[in-house]
Amino acid sequence: MNSPFPKSSSSPGEGRIVAKLLPEGISGLEVFSYQYPLKLISPSRPSETKSVLVFLLSYGGGLVAGDNVKLEVDLLANAKLTIVTQGHTKVFNSVTPDIVTRQTMHVNIASGAAFCLLPDPVQPFAGSVYEQTQIFKLHQDASICLLDWVTQGRTARGENWSFVRWTGRNELWSIGDGSQTTRDRLLVRDAVILGSNKAHPQLPALQESMHGMGVIGTMLLRGPLMKTLGEFFLSEFAALPRLGARDFRSDAAKNAAPVERSRRERWRIERLGMEKDKTILWSAANVRGCVVVKFGSPSVEAGRLWIGSMLQEEGSIAESFGDHALMCVR
Amino acid sequence: MSTTSPQESVIDDVQIIEDEIADLERRLNEAKAKRNHHHTRSRQQQQQQQQLTSSDPPQPIPPSPTHFLLLLSDSALPLGSFAFSSGLESYLAHHKHFFLSSSSLSFNSFLPLSISSYASTTLPFLLTAYRDPSFHSLSSLDDIQDASIICTVGRRASTAQGRALLGIWERSFQHEFPTTSAEDIKAFSKLVKKSSAEEIPAASAHLAPLFGAICRWVGLSAQETAYVFLLGHVKALVSAAVRAGMFGPYQAQKTLSSGMVQGLIDAMIARDWETPVEMAGQNVPVMDLWFGRHEMLYSRIFNS
Repeated sequence: MNSPFPKSSSSPGEGRIVAKLLPEGISGLEVFSYQYPLKLISPSRPSETKSVLVFLLSYGGGLVAGDNVKLEVDLLANAKLTIVTQGHTKVFNSVTPDIVTRQTMHVNIASGAAFCLLPDPVQPFAGSVYEQTQIFKLHQDASICLLDWVTQGRTARGENWSFVRWTGRNELWSIGDGSQTTRDRLLVRDAVILGSNKAHPQLPALQESMHGMGVIGTMLLRGPLMKTLGEFFLSEFAALPRLGARDFRSDAAKNAAPVERSRRERWRIERLGMEKDKTILWSAANVRGCVVVKFGSPSVEAGRLWIGSMLQEEGSIAESFGDHALMCVR
Repeated sequence: MSTTSPQESVIDDVQIIEDEIADLERRLNEAKAKRNHHHTRSRQQQQQQQQLTSSDPPQPIPPSPTHFLLLLSDSALPLGSFAFSSGLESYLAHHKHFFLSSSSLSFNSFLPLSISSYASTTLPFLLTAYRDPSFHSLSSLDDIQDASIICTVGRRASTAQGRALLGIWERSFQHEFPTTSAEDIKAFSKLVKKSSAEEIPAASAHLAPLFGAICRWVGLSAQETAYVFLLGHVKALVSAAVRAGMFGPYQAQKTLSSGMVQGLIDAMIARDWETPVEMAGQNVPVMDLWFGRHEMLYSRIFNS
């Protein structure tokens, strides 16, 4: 994109963002365009300048059957961009299963740039058909923090994984410098396919196969700015109490004067209590230089509190992108 | 009874047609597989006839696909499959210690989910490698699957069995197929060995693509390949259930021989017969959690 004139987005649902580092050292938007039903907003007088903030919205507060949103995002060298939403992304029902509602995001993150995508969860209504594809191409030393989560629907209306189909695919690619030694490489592909179509009568209904979870989510982390956050998730996962472990200490030892606990330890005890009370299940793994966090929670709000607590406790998202990056997870 | 809305009846109609298409495709594939079998069998019979009628010394019979189908389905095939419970052990522990659920856990509710999840994540890799078992295809499928298995425990289970299968091919089966694919597998094996220390290995020897390629080389049909692969998963799960004390050996054989298991495997093959690897994915999200949290078990008898 070397043209001085931004490419106009003329098709419905298309949007384009180019973020760059301005001479004064803060990130700004070079290109910012969108078409109905997609709507993008960037505060003109931002309260924080650690990253440039964009709200990803849609007219009417949701995606109607057949909507096709396609967002192209470019982060130029050393730019920092944060994308958030305002409330759940609602997906309305389709009259027939062949009417698919799509949301596609292609993000190119140049060397030294960092992208933070912490939106509200997607809320597919009963009867909806939704496909989400998000492809992220990371150049050398590019960073990304991505959260993708989906809820059971409108519980107040009795919805419980009542949609026809929901598919979500997230890909992280590392982009080579064009030389022989570094080629483009798929680092992680996280794909979830949820459908009401039972291929065999013995398969349980989708709702049953979710085992009481009301929200499931994936977080992907990669790059120098995410190093400490990734290590934090891995070490907290390693520190989880073992299932089925027993306390063999004598009563006297258990009742002995409590040891001095650090602030972090007190936070961890409280968080573990919440995980147990709310039956929040999560895991973290290092996959080809990326950290992949998977979580599920029976209650959407508990899931939000949990991921928010993790991100706030560790602190590097707010430090790198500003507090506004966390507005959807608290 | 309430009357169904026109919307629902349209969806029902589409569903019926979809089911019919899936059924027809499955039957076509079965018929093709049968035909392939007939071809190989009649060729062998001809050769045997020639041997019986001619006075020349008997010619060696080429390796029979059925023979290798039986070997690949044998529990004694040293893949180490018995060491993996595919999330079953973790599922049981979570229900006991985390959900404190008092309801009795049914293997029959875990089994269909596990087959479905295993098929939707691995069958596309298996069948694509079967259709093109060249070095280029095999190494690329292996790399993509390595990026697609998003948990440590699952990755370990896949590569441990894949490497064992690679060893079986190189040290044992290969001798019966001296000309088949020698260059492809040699190059792949070299890449696996070379890249074992890399942060992002060029090749890891995941089970599904290798299994697909090897089934192709020993002459199985695609249908048989997919069937023996999924049956292997079911056998490992059932054996894990026996060792975890869920039921005994007769119940195990009853489950294995059931129409449910046969029907499920057929339905999964029909569902993912044409699924491209880009569309492979997890359809039981909690399965990722059981798998990923296997490491948190205080005591464990399985590696997954």
